[in-house]
Amino acid sequence: MISVIETRSVIVEYPSIRGVLRLYDQGVSLKVDQGDFLAVLGGSGWGKSTLVNVVLGLEKPIHGSVSFRDHDVTRESFVKRCGLVKTAAVFQRPTALPQMTVSQNLHLALSLAGVPRKERDERIKEALAFFGLDKIERSYPDGLSAGQRRRIDLARALAVKPELLVIDEPTGDLDGSATNLLIPLLRGLNRNQGTTIFMTTALPRQASQAKHQVHLRPPSYLTPENRMIGD
Amino acid sequence: MGIVALEASLATIGPAAFNSRLWLSLLVVPPTCALASVSTTTRRTREELALFAYGGSSWQILLRYFFRGAIIALIAFSPIILQGFLATTLIFELVVPVIVLFFAGGLFYSLPSLRRIRSSSFVENYKS
Repeated sequence: MISVIETRSVIVEYPSIRGVLRLYDQGVSLKVDQGDFLAVLGGSGWGKSTLVNVVLGLEKPIHGSVSFRDHDVTRESFVKRCGLVKTAAVFQRPTALPQMTVSQNLHLALSLAGVPRKERDERIKEALAFFGLDKIERSYPDGLSAGQRRRIDLARALAVKPELLVIDEPTGDLDGSATNLLIPLLRGLNRNQGTTIFMTTALPRQASQAKHQVHLRPPSYLTPENRMIGD
Repeated sequence: MGIVALEASLATIGPAAFNSRLWLSLLVVPPTCALASVSTTTRRTREELALFAYGGSSWQILLRYFFRGAIIALIAFSPIILQGFLATTLIFELVVPVIVLFFAGGLFYSLPSLRRIRSSSFVENYKS
């Protein structure tokens, strides 16, 4: 079976005061098949968001490769990857455009995703109603709570009807009731619509809801001394 | 302030004839557009992050800023363009500086955005 995402021995490094911060010391190798629901579990600062960026092509690894449907996309952009697998991403920080209303934000996302104009209104209506945003569709994101802005991002991602949904810590800004609704929603999306889901989380209970899990290890610091030993 | 001073000086010392005035005034377009773009970095960065997250490409984002800068430059110079339009007998003499104005405004308004998008710290904004 051709996997939707495959990473092989991915390592990322950042310069830091304590030396070079190396994420995924042994390299991250994972496979996400069509219709899979994978949770990447790790502590704060262990590289969950970086792995999301690497998968989406927003950051390049120092070592290893990333493939989408057997095509090496390590050096390719997010847009190129979307051409291979229709992907929607929800980041940790809300991304809605501040100068557009909730509804206009979704319109823009659907037009960039190439959804025909006549389908957009219906999809937006559905997505907004699903996330309880229909009453604030004419509001601007800056006047809303963090949880509401997170739901705008989720509504925007799901309105696109992606094949692959990449979510970085989905319940970060959500309250208890919204959190309890979200994971079953993702499971339903995965089971009923066959959407492949790549999710990161710091909560083992949340990760256990996914079909498969990958556990990250804490990062290490390379100083000039241990780098020479390592080399 | 420097840009305003330069423009005011040009308006004072520059020849009154349309052609020379517009060409001289074009010198203020690049720094003004670049500064206008840089001065709204926080807002622009949010816009760029959103457009990327929505599946927009670097080119789409740059084109958006290019046209915005070009239109800003044309609107800013519209009185001089109008004056030139009324004064000139050869339309070609007006078209060339207007095209230069359009491209200079667009290019220098979009360059800071290109620099932001290409910086390694840009995607760090997606993380909390």
